Amino acid sequence: MQRQTFQQDAFDIARHKLKTGQLSRRQFVAALSALGLSATIRPGAAHAAASEIVVCNWGGAAIDAFRDAYGAPFTKSSGIEVVVDGAGPSTGAVRAMVEAGNVIWDATDGGMTDAAVLGKGGYVDPIDYSVVDKSRVGEGMAAEYGVANYIFSNVLAYDATQTDGKVPAGWKDFFDFDKFPGQRTMCKWVQGQLEAVLMADGVKPEDMYPLDVDRAFAKLEPYLKDIIFWESGAQSQQLLREGEVVMGNIWHTRANLLRKENPDLTWTWENQLIFASAWSVPKGNPAGKEVFEFINSSLLPEGQVTLLRAMGNGPTNPAALALMSEEDKAVYSLAPENLKDVLHVSAAYYAEHDAEVQNRFLDFISR
Amino acid sequence: MSHFQRWALALTLPAGALMLAFYVYPILQVLGLSFSEPTPGLGNYAELVTNPAIRRVLWTTVQVTVPTTLITVTLSYIVALAMVQMAPGRRRLAMFLVLVPFWISVLVRAFAWITVLRRRGIVNSTLQDLGLIHKPLALIYNELGVVIGMVHYMMPFAILLLYANLSDIDQSVIRAARSLGARRWMIFSRVWLPLSLPGLLVAALFVVIFSFGFLVTPALLGAGRVLMVAEYISVQISNTLNWGVATALSTSLLVAVGLLVWLATRHPALRAALEGGRK
Repeated sequence: MQRQTFQQDAFDIARHKLKTGQLSRRQFVAALSALGLSATIRPGAAHAAASEIVVCNWGGAAIDAFRDAYGAPFTKSSGIEVVVDGAGPSTGAVRAMVEAGNVIWDATDGGMTDAAVLGKGGYVDPIDYSVVDKSRVGEGMAAEYGVANYIFSNVLAYDATQTDGKVPAGWKDFFDFDKFPGQRTMCKWVQGQLEAVLMADGVKPEDMYPLDVDRAFAKLEPYLKDIIFWESGAQSQQLLREGEVVMGNIWHTRANLLRKENPDLTWTWENQLIFASAWSVPKGNPAGKEVFEFINSSLLPEGQVTLLRAMGNGPTNPAALALMSEEDKAVYSLAPENLKDVLHVSAAYYAEHDAEVQNRFLDFISR
Repeated sequence: MSHFQRWALALTLPAGALMLAFYVYPILQVLGLSFSEPTPGLGNYAELVTNPAIRRVLWTTVQVTVPTTLITVTLSYIVALAMVQMAPGRRRLAMFLVLVPFWISVLVRAFAWITVLRRRGIVNSTLQDLGLIHKPLALIYNELGVVIGMVHYMMPFAILLLYANLSDIDQSVIRAARSLGARRWMIFSRVWLPLSLPGLLVAALFVVIFSFGFLVTPALLGAGRVLMVAEYISVQISNTLNWGVATALSTSLLVAVGLLVWLATRHPALRAALEGGRK
């Protein structure tokens, strides 16, 4: 996080110098490769403002995947380059950039909750639905400050060698330590954690919100000593890969990577907790209104299926389902066959309560 | 002031201006936020005192910092004392071995410790193979794991500080003690230890100050169970947008660290050690 922020800053400096002629193109490229950034951006487009869209996501393999799935089709149709920066657009980072009046991102990839929180604080512009076609996304995926760019889930992943081949039936079994002895992993970031606990405690999806936090804590308390809390997707993957835990509440994209490595490490869609990720547009973004053309283009089904195949991040455009093979549907959260007893995590609830519930959760698990 | 001194002073001006612009000014901004976010006043500082979760975070930080400091300083002192007495060739090798971890990123080191200390890691599986334990020991994902990781991170710093301090001690004093018939333990307790006490305290101070700022190590080796103050601040800045409380907490930490250093400089021997040697 800190390192990425630093690189971000260094990138910014180098780009500014290129624009103002203090650095030649060649020096700029050399500076970037020194920063380890050459793979993340396209310096060739950097000198002419508004001929590029800078997208910020969370880095890693998602940089290339975003470029192929969202960037390439848009560049082909519009001639505008798409630059993907993997620095991680946390709400704090977006706020800092907007308040400093030095915005370098046109579209940020955050949760629907982030979009609502940033909108409430006045740090992002409303999505311009005169350009962005609402009908390209499913129901509830076009909000005032964010439009859903992909779907992902928290799923119950398990190590079949440690469960003796038994398939855990949802979160009830996750917290059944008699039936499935051994350690578990859950996420430190609260969204999707208490929901799993409450589902195990018998709360129905339709009665989930507002969350009964006290009830969830009471249910979770006796098991805390057997739970390791992950904070990055890589860490959740490592815990299962090394056999440290029997089961985990992890992102389905990570579960998918695990299964590709080792078929014994797999997951169940039962009780999956579904999230929508969203594009937001920071106030004062460099490309201005043009970014909405990019966002509209990113909702086309073909690119979204490309992203699904690369990463497992699922399409938000219902038309994408028709383009999918059986193999694609097996990793798609919203494929009809995967929707057994699922919960759609409420962005509206977290837009109001995330800070409070997150802090209570961190305090609770660290006691 | 002589002509030369005025010139020397003038030469420090660019560096001073840079510090003001890129270090002091942002810190003042942070200080300002702590009084103005989300509403003007002292509300954030009141929250630091009244919020039990923040008290627990601070208490956890103390609980981790104290053993980390004691263990780091003790182990580093032993290494530094041995290095001072080594022949030059061996000393170079020892110095190299101390510096190797120094150059490895904190993230890599944390993941390496996970591999070593986890339930199926090398330590637990060796102990189990030898029949010494039946169930894996909980060496990680708790305060113990965090302390291990932090001690490992801090030792090269402490060793270098202590080595510099110990090699400043005049060897003729040691020879004098020996010629007057003092035995090893006597030489250590009556000569080495008193003369190196300021260096020890400076190393301890250094470890304490660093421990307040540890983020990656507790986050990875504590796995959510050990929430220390730097991580708490980071969450409030990046995730919950609670900038008021975060900046108030940072400001308080800065003041606490400043006070510690100021107290240390009150004592002449400590000041000398802080300024690096007595020459």
